[in-house]
Amino acid sequence: MNLNMNSVETLVAQIQGLSGSTSDVNHLHTLLKQLEELFKSESSRLAPLLTELDPSIHSLGYLYILEACTSAPISKEQASELVLSVGRFINLCSAEQIRVAPDKFISVCKRFKDQVMLLEDPMRGVAPMLTALQKLQYSSEQLTTLHPDFLLLCLLAKCYKTGLSILEDDIFEVDQPRDFFLYCYYGGMICIGQKKFSKALELLHSVVTAPMSVLNAIAIEAYKKYILVSLIHLGQFSSSFPKYTSSVAQRNLKNFSQPYLELVNSYCTGKISELEAFVQANNEKFESDKNLGLVKQVVSSMYKRNIQRLTQTYLTLSLEDIANTVQLNSAKEAEMHVLQMIQDGEIYATINQKDGMVRFLEDPEQYKTCEMIELIDSSIQRIMMLSRKLTDMDEQLSCDPLYLGKAGRDRQRFDFDDFDTVPSKFTV
Amino acid sequence: MDFSALNDALASKSYDQIADICDTLMLQVSSQGVVFQDEWPYAIHLLGHIYISDINSARFLWKRIPLAVKERQPEVVAAWNIGQKLWTRDYAGVHEAIREFNWSPEVQGIVASFSELYTKKMFELLVSAYSTISTQDTALFLGLNADDAANCNLSSFFTWLITFVQI
Repeated sequence: MNLNMNSVETLVAQIQGLSGSTSDVNHLHTLLKQLEELFKSESSRLAPLLTELDPSIHSLGYLYILEACTSAPISKEQASELVLSVGRFINLCSAEQIRVAPDKFISVCKRFKDQVMLLEDPMRGVAPMLTALQKLQYSSEQLTTLHPDFLLLCLLAKCYKTGLSILEDDIFEVDQPRDFFLYCYYGGMICIGQKKFSKALELLHSVVTAPMSVLNAIAIEAYKKYILVSLIHLGQFSSSFPKYTSSVAQRNLKNFSQPYLELVNSYCTGKISELEAFVQANNEKFESDKNLGLVKQVVSSMYKRNIQRLTQTYLTLSLEDIANTVQLNSAKEAEMHVLQMIQDGEIYATINQKDGMVRFLEDPEQYKTCEMIELIDSSIQRIMMLSRKLTDMDEQLSCDPLYLGKAGRDRQRFDFDDFDTVPSKFTV
Repeated sequence: MDFSALNDALASKSYDQIADICDTLMLQVSSQGVVFQDEWPYAIHLLGHIYISDINSARFLWKRIPLAVKERQPEVVAAWNIGQKLWTRDYAGVHEAIREFNWSPEVQGIVASFSELYTKKMFELLVSAYSTISTQDTALFLGLNADDAANCNLSSFFTWLITFVQI
């Protein structure tokens, strides 16, 4: 079936006519789906049609034609133009209309990302991809396929702060497991870059403990980073998995992370020289995993841990003694370390330079300030909201036919209560 | 490239907004395929991140700046120098880095404002962290020369003394 002038005009007219109300748009969607074959066969000739359509009003029609145009392979010179036109469409399109055909929209955006990567300029894609995922989402609680692509572009373009903005949303709906794994892994890397280790730990933990029937490479890499971040942020690592971790992960993850688990053992000795020697010996392994930077941060965090441990034993200690215990070179270095830890709020102490002594203090927080009360209040609100969500999910799940089928199979056919007691005598 | 939002922020001395304004503008301009690297106010952008103590973002920005710009614009290098001293916690070095460069008029405002802010933060840190400290170190951390430290700031010295007595 050829696309002659008549059918082209009718197509454009139909798109222009049926882009008004929701019912019109749904009707248009049905029509467009019927023309799939046509779009595929005539993809090279559809580009001129785009000039007759307005991406903000005729978004659905524009999307179908754009998707067909971008499906053909293009040269590098055309790539720049394509990136610009798709970027423009993403900025102008109507969110309601594109949500009618999410697969097409995702397909266009993925091609957009591929072209941006080919042009070796990932920053070009960051702003459009953010707009795209915000338009595709029904709510900020939904994870779309575009989330991990966006985070990947942020990582490559070194725009970590922009990536951080979407990581603050709580996710409750996930379409594809792979998206979730990648989202959490890339998200963890962005948080590590911005030194938000607590959030990084949370995200990496999610990857490691997520349900999986087969081990995947993302979980393996995430586990390695999880070990390192755990050492940096908490000063310890527990190799036992929580109960809800999949059996596949529990059995296999450790086999792929041997050097990292040995690093944990070396870290726990508390001796900086041993740790440095171990890192030196395994330099290549860490470097090939691209984790050398993190490993170095683990080493420098050891000084902090050792100083923190001293606060549990001593009330006052001389800077000389700190330097010796923690294996620093001089009292002045020890003073600088302690000062930095005071600045970061990792220790409560005062330095007496005249006597060369440090006095360790208690945490002055009395939990009485307005800020603290607000913090506790917002945490309570958040937990109440979470609890409500959990109750709703439980109710929905108990009506789910799949669940009922399985639960019904496992129960006995009759309960004891199903049997009425038969009276042996009637008293009149 | 429309720098009006940036210029307004600079004129009204809202230096804490500079980083966000620059980031958003950079992403916008980039998505339009414009080659902006030669005209971009990298020095102000870096100082914007430094002003709000976001050294991580300043570091990533520095990594993104093309080598040609780093070689041709010494002010950008000088701005990063401040960031570097902050990153390595070279407390006295920050003051030196601010002082040793001849800043251009557009950048002088934000540099002076940051210098004041940093000195204030350092003073608060010294008050909370030290029960006694030598005049020489105080001078280094606050960017004063030794005599100034001994003579000036009498009122703040007394507030400091009072906090010491309370401990």
